[in-house]
Amino acid sequence: MEEEEAGTMVHTNFYCHLGNWGILKKLEQWFIPISMSPWKLGEKAALQALKANPYVDMIVVDGISLLCTDLQVDPQDIVMLVVSWHMKAATMCEFSRQEFIGGLQSLGIDTIEKFREKLSYMRSELRDDQRFREIYNFSFGWAKEKGQKSLALETAIGMWQLLFAEWHWPLVDHWCQFLQLKHNKAISRDTWSQLLEFAKTIDLQLSNYDEEGAWPYLIDEFVEYLTENGIVQRPQN
Amino acid sequence: MPANHLQALTSPQMSSRVTVLCTSIVGEVSRRLCKLSPKRRRRIHDMCIQRSPHDTTEKLYTKYKEVIMEYITSVVLPSLKDKHDEFLLRELVIRWSNHKVMSKWLSRFFSYLNRFFIKRNSLPSLDEVAFTCFQDQVYKVTKGKVKDAVISLIDQERGGEQIDRGLLKNVIEIFVEIGTDKMDYYKNDFEEEMLKETASYYSRKASNWILIESFPDYMLKVEECLRKEKDRVVHYLHATSEPKLIEQVRHEVLCVYSSQLLENEKSGCCVLIQEHKVDDLSRMYKLFSKIDDGLCRISQIYKKHVTVEGTTLVKKTDDVASNKEAEKRVVVGLQEQTFVREVIELHDKNMPLVNDCFQNHTLFRKVLKEAFEIFLNKTVAGSSTAELLVNYCDNILKKGGSEKYSDEAIEQILEKAVNLLGYIYDKDLFVEFYRKKLARRLLFDKSANEDHERSILTKLKQQNGTHFTSKLEGMVTDMTLARETQADFKDYLQCNPRTNPGIDLSVTVLTTGFWPSYRSSDFHLPFEMTKCIQAFAEFYPTKTNSRKLTWIYSLGTCNITAKFELQTIELIVTTYQAAVLLLFNDSDRLSYSEIMSQLNLADDDVVRLLQSLCCLKYKLLNKEPNTNSISSDDVFAFNSKFTNKMRRIRIPLPIVDEKKKILEVVDKDRKYVVDACLIRIMKSRKVLNHQQLITECVEQLKVFKPDLKLIKKRIEDLINREYLERDSENLNLYRYLA
Repeated sequence: MEEEEAGTMVHTNFYCHLGNWGILKKLEQWFIPISMSPWKLGEKAALQALKANPYVDMIVVDGISLLCTDLQVDPQDIVMLVVSWHMKAATMCEFSRQEFIGGLQSLGIDTIEKFREKLSYMRSELRDDQRFREIYNFSFGWAKEKGQKSLALETAIGMWQLLFAEWHWPLVDHWCQFLQLKHNKAISRDTWSQLLEFAKTIDLQLSNYDEEGAWPYLIDEFVEYLTENGIVQRPQN
Repeated sequence: MPANHLQALTSPQMSSRVTVLCTSIVGEVSRRLCKLSPKRRRRIHDMCIQRSPHDTTEKLYTKYKEVIMEYITSVVLPSLKDKHDEFLLRELVIRWSNHKVMSKWLSRFFSYLNRFFIKRNSLPSLDEVAFTCFQDQVYKVTKGKVKDAVISLIDQERGGEQIDRGLLKNVIEIFVEIGTDKMDYYKNDFEEEMLKETASYYSRKASNWILIESFPDYMLKVEECLRKEKDRVVHYLHATSEPKLIEQVRHEVLCVYSSQLLENEKSGCCVLIQEHKVDDLSRMYKLFSKIDDGLCRISQIYKKHVTVEGTTLVKKTDDVASNKEAEKRVVVGLQEQTFVREVIELHDKNMPLVNDCFQNHTLFRKVLKEAFEIFLNKTVAGSSTAELLVNYCDNILKKGGSEKYSDEAIEQILEKAVNLLGYIYDKDLFVEFYRKKLARRLLFDKSANEDHERSILTKLKQQNGTHFTSKLEGMVTDMTLARETQADFKDYLQCNPRTNPGIDLSVTVLTTGFWPSYRSSDFHLPFEMTKCIQAFAEFYPTKTNSRKLTWIYSLGTCNITAKFELQTIELIVTTYQAAVLLLFNDSDRLSYSEIMSQLNLADDDVVRLLQSLCCLKYKLLNKEPNTNSISSDDVFAFNSKFTNKMRRIRIPLPIVDEKKKILEVVDKDRKYVVDACLIRIMKSRKVLNHQQLITECVEQLKVFKPDLKLIKKRIEDLINREYLERDSENLNLYRYLA
């Protein structure tokens, strides 16, 4: 959720109006308001109005900063990634109204306090293997540019640093270095997802790595890089 | 004697009567081996039919046995006791023979006993009784000595002495017969020891031979002793002994020493191959094909030999290439041609070895193929062998290349060249280089004989499939079609004299896709030629619809008349060269940059052109300064003083080496080929694991040997393009996405 990233995003600042519904008061700050009249409508009507135009409105950078302030959380905190996952957000630094409202509903959040409480639950979700995998794989689609098939290298490295701080993988720094030295191109989805499997299943001596297996080419090269540069001593068999 | 008379006799009397009768009969029979008188026979019969209490059958039976026994102990055994060796054998044969006859007759005489008494009481028959007596009393006692005697005679025969084979045959038969239906006695009492003795005999012999005989001579000895032993079996041993005997002999004489023999430095397998000793190699094949692993080891030696010979040829060419500088390209080229020729010769030399000496055994065909594949897939003097082979074929197929050969000889050469291609992995590279050379031959009219051109394509098609040669055949066909089109064009010009450009123009229309891709350029055609192009451009649509013509001037040739001071010469040049020359019709002197801008060509083309016109064999232009290389400051003028004894000369334009470009094209194509192959496999299998996918892909790709990394990369690319996906559970499994 860095500001620089936002610069490259498509800003479609649409406006919406929110009615008087618990959190709606806050939502109105996050969503840039366009008109005032539906204020007068009751809650039900406001909700209906909201649901009538699901795709029209977005929370973007400023809104997200406000959101984070209210949640008392750093915008760069990984928990925001988990939030995005729950909301099935399509792209980072953006929430569409449907995504946001839908997410809140599924989380059972209707007040800011509840939202804050949920955050610690969401943090704990990262410690679950299966959940972490889901969130990891989700983050590829979320972090890449709309319309692109691959993830820009810089973004990928940033994401990996973030994710592997949660689930510790000792080789993450070597991996990022290797990519910058030898690859310098975008990362494919297959490479992204396979990297997690690599990190989870291959031991640090690389003794159970099979070059003839179905690992992506880039990971084969990484293993070569590690052994050639003496970073890892593979046991000879 | 009437029956009742017998009744009157008492038991003891009866016993003695029986004894006397038996003894005398036995004695008589043994002595005279003749039939008994009827009187005697009747007496026996009477005795046999007596009923109890005067029943004498049991007594007869017992007595019979006793008497036989006594005969053996008193007569037979003594005759054998003190005899040895051959004498023992002879005596035994006689005794056994007698015994058999006796037993037969006695059984007949006392047959009444056999029929009733013995059967009723389930006793051994008279035959069996006699037989068992002999077996127990005679055979068991003498068998050891007999066996030793036989074996010693066999060894004597092996040593070269003459022995009585008939005798041995008879003795061996005793061993067989004494076991009735089973060969146990033969095996245990004779064969086992005989085999052991054979083994040690030949072990001693072989240990001698190995020290003094060369490999070929040793093999002759082996052949001979195997033959002799087989002969032995035919003449006196039992047939069942043959495999075991031969096995023993072969083991001692061949197996034990096989490595030593094969690897003998002076006369071993390797040497025989090198010296092409066909007979010895055939013999070696026959002998070693019967040992475990024998052929395997020979094939490995053979493979190594061929690989070394081939690799030497490669190195020779590499050395020549590294010794000469780039200018001496011609010398290197010559050596490369020699390389191909010598490889073909190597193959020719080895085919008879494989076909005749090694009897076309799959193992040897396989290692020959493997050996050739090893050295033919190395880079030779910086080029791929595919390219060298193309150059070789080009030299045969172009004009002047093969005039000294008959048509049949050329066919043979082409056949052998195509054969070699079978060993080269980068067949797609061969096609690309061949395409380039073929284009030059066809377009510059350098092809010697169209039949040969088609013939080699047929051979390539047979070897590699229709798809392999489709483009090449298309090119040759284009030339035929072009001739027709040209004829039509000439007619058109006659009918439409206004369109006639006044210059003879002949056009060859190439089908894009068949021919190598050529760069088209914004070349400024000399105005004299533009009218020609226009004429054809108007004519062509009248012949066919909706075809777009792109002009490749770089491939054209031009006959241009040059008026020099002293003579007029017809020059055969390329269109580009002609364009340069034509510029001097209007100007006496031109600078490099003027020429370049007027022609609108790139620097490397201009340099090459000007070089061909003033720095090589024919100086049609003068250059200031008069150096041997072109620089952008040079100024050029027409050399009016040029002369030549010929009226007509061809000014060659050196070809650009497009090797790098060709390699790039092939690399790119390979990606598509691999992609198509992977998709085809996955489409039919739907789900497949990584290893199997790779294996199938490698198997299906015939035109080149795919790099495993390439396949892996293409799989990943296909995943990215969503043709395939990984299974979520099993990461080694791929699924086809429709």
